[in-house]
Amino acid sequence: MDVQEAVAEGQASVDNGEVKRDGRKQFSMGPGDILEGKLIYDGSVHADGRVEGEVRVTGNIDVATGANVKALLEGANVSLKGQVEGMVTARDKLTLGKNARLSGDIQVRRLQIDDGATLNGHVRMGDFEHQASGQ
Amino acid sequence: MSTRRPGSRLATPVPAENGANGQPNSIVLGPNDRLVGQLYIEGDLRVTGTVDGTLEATGDIEIAGAGKVNGDVTAYNRLTVGSDASLIAGDVRVARLTVQDGATFSGKVSMGKPARKAEPKAPEPQPQPQVEPVVEPVVAEAAVVAAREPTKKGKRR
Repeated sequence: MDVQEAVAEGQASVDNGEVKRDGRKQFSMGPGDILEGKLIYDGSVHADGRVEGEVRVTGNIDVATGANVKALLEGANVSLKGQVEGMVTARDKLTLGKNARLSGDIQVRRLQIDDGATLNGHVRMGDFEHQASGQ
Repeated sequence: MSTRRPGSRLATPVPAENGANGQPNSIVLGPNDRLVGQLYIEGDLRVTGTVDGTLEATGDIEIAGAGKVNGDVTAYNRLTVGSDASLIAGDVRVARLTVQDGATFSGKVSMGKPARKAEPKAPEPQPQPQVEPVVEPVVAEAAVVAAREPTKKGKRR
């Protein structure tokens, strides 16, 4: 709760209790938060803390530096800075930051891997219009 | 004739010096160059041309410009794939990996420190002498036992 308020003050606007960023909803987690299960969300997700299960969003997924994620991730733009174990699908672009550690297969349209990132998995690159849109 | 050596026009007189001066080797495949097959290099490799085959380098591999590589790639240090470059691989084994936005990249990526073939302090010589003496006496004894047994155990009646 505190984290969401902080985000709202910093860069987002609060509209009917929803945190919005760039006109889209954002599901924002803090370092101490835990999400277990399946999340299908019409907006973007900022993942921090611990996430286990499955996260499919229409917007972007952003995994913070200290986050520990064991989940299937699917989003338009996916940016990883923390530790992720699981399959990742980026309908547009996947970015692995310098501290990212990803174990899992990835499917992307565009890929950027910064020096220092660790990747173990199979990379498939190409256009895939249909399968991702079904959420 | 006397002042100009025939090889002086060559841009890279590097290969002959590989390892001799302790300096790492370096190979550049230009935009018009093409390699089909296998390349193992103790040093760095820069590809801006086309490669169909397997690449292995003890140093860095850089696929830059409009370079295209189809095949397995092993870099003991760093692999860099430039924004206009392409790597379509089966297996990619590297210690460090950089893929620039816009690059074409696919394959099975394995990262971490690979077991280096060219390690100077390889502990391999030690086990070998230990193994061989152990094997030989066992074989010899077995042969002796095998030779004795038929004579002692001639119990087929």
